[in-house]
Amino acid sequence: MPAIIQIENLVHRFADGTVGLGGVSLEVAEGAFVIIAGANGSGKTTLLRHLNGLLRPTSGTVRVGGVSVTDNVLRARTLVGMMFQDADSQIVGETVYADVAFGPENLKLGRAEIDRRVQEALAATGLVHLAEKRPHLLSGGEKRRLAIAGVLAMQPRVLVFDEPFSNLDYPGVRQVLEQILKLHRSGQTILLTTHDLEKVLAHADRLVFMRGGRIEGDGPPHVLVAGAEAYGVKRPRVLGCGVKALSWLN
Amino acid sequence: MAELTGFHYRPGSSVLHRLDVRMKLALLAVFSAACLHASSAGLLLLGLPLLATALISRVAPSVPSRELRWLGLLLGLVFVARAVSTDGTAVLSMGTFVASREGVADGLKVCLRLILVFLMGSMFVASTRPGEVKAGVQWFLNPVPFVPAERTATMLGLIVRFIPLILEEVSRTTDAQRARAVENRRNPVYRMVTFGIPLLRRIFETSDRLVLAMEARGYAESRTGPEIKAGRRDWAALAAGGGWLALILVV
Repeated sequence: MPAIIQIENLVHRFADGTVGLGGVSLEVAEGAFVIIAGANGSGKTTLLRHLNGLLRPTSGTVRVGGVSVTDNVLRARTLVGMMFQDADSQIVGETVYADVAFGPENLKLGRAEIDRRVQEALAATGLVHLAEKRPHLLSGGEKRRLAIAGVLAMQPRVLVFDEPFSNLDYPGVRQVLEQILKLHRSGQTILLTTHDLEKVLAHADRLVFMRGGRIEGDGPPHVLVAGAEAYGVKRPRVLGCGVKALSWLN
Repeated sequence: MAELTGFHYRPGSSVLHRLDVRMKLALLAVFSAACLHASSAGLLLLGLPLLATALISRVAPSVPSRELRWLGLLLGLVFVARAVSTDGTAVLSMGTFVASREGVADGLKVCLRLILVFLMGSMFVASTRPGEVKAGVQWFLNPVPFVPAERTATMLGLIVRFIPLILEEVSRTTDAQRARAVENRRNPVYRMVTFGIPLLRRIFETSDRLVLAMEARGYAESRTGPEIKAGRRDWAALAAGGGWLALILVV
């Protein structure tokens, strides 16, 4: 499959001089499911935020769908749907419906098209019955699904999840994981960062380790996971049964 | 996390919710102005139906008593200031401060005006989506020369969107400090500084995250707004409001 994301020698230096990314190169094929793992401060979130132009490179290039992100930020934000770690901070609408409609409204679509996309996104995430509810009253898992619906309404080709399971209870984790897998099966490219591999490793086809703003490991999960703790990531303890046995949906 | 503050939009299908936002803005403006000039009878004539409307439409402020105490404090200060600064027949004397009967009556009237303005503002926010607020304000500002209507309306819409966030952070900061026995500290300056600085920092951080989330979904000033179309019911409401206003000012 052709690469939908192409990152070449990406360097990002923050205003205080700290190097967030020290020359990252990465290609992601369309339809892939990639986990990016690493300890806090390894550069995962900094990397993700270059994919939709929230951060600009100090040097290097980031291309999504063949077009440089910096050349067309709006296009990048349409192609790449991003779910942040804190679901509450993503809520911008006063109702579930209004929150999902927020993205299509920014694209200046007609009201009929906006309504169609919102209904589709709500149906895809099982939130139709909550359309008029206030988002702050949703459970943790429902809020994450709302965040997913909000970006689905923009019809992205890549979905980026930044620590999607943080602060979720077990039912919430299952809800979100099932949603992510459903989206992957429908053809979406998934990039997911985590430092808790156990929840999602069974479903990924590629594992990338980051440390100190660089990629230091990149390959099949079952090969790389044995060395996880060298990168500050907890190695799943039940690996003896194989990576696939780790699924939280078993 | 349940309801955190009372000052926010509440979904509903009441008459107020369905009323055209431009009519609501116009009525809000004229009734607020009327509050300043109405007599005591006029204020009652305004207030009682207003409260009834708020209760029926389920948009009465559901502000926790903890937040209302600040409004109560403001009203108390206003009342006392009026009572002791208005000349008239003395009813209460506290040292050099003498409250007059006329001052007490005047103070009560001013407090009632403030309560009514607060009530109307709360009803408007509770029954109007922020997107509609922006659309309505923009509609009024469009014919005004030299005023950037869309940008001004966007700013007002964002203020409405951010007020609940700010109130949430006030609540969280208060709880965090009370959990660490801040109430044992009596020095008001110390409490103000230790409360204000972390609060401002949290508000800016929360706002930053919200702005990032909005930008990630392609937020732009120019975007599809809500459809606002006034029907017969809206014009009828405006006419009824006008008649009611005339009655308030005449009484």
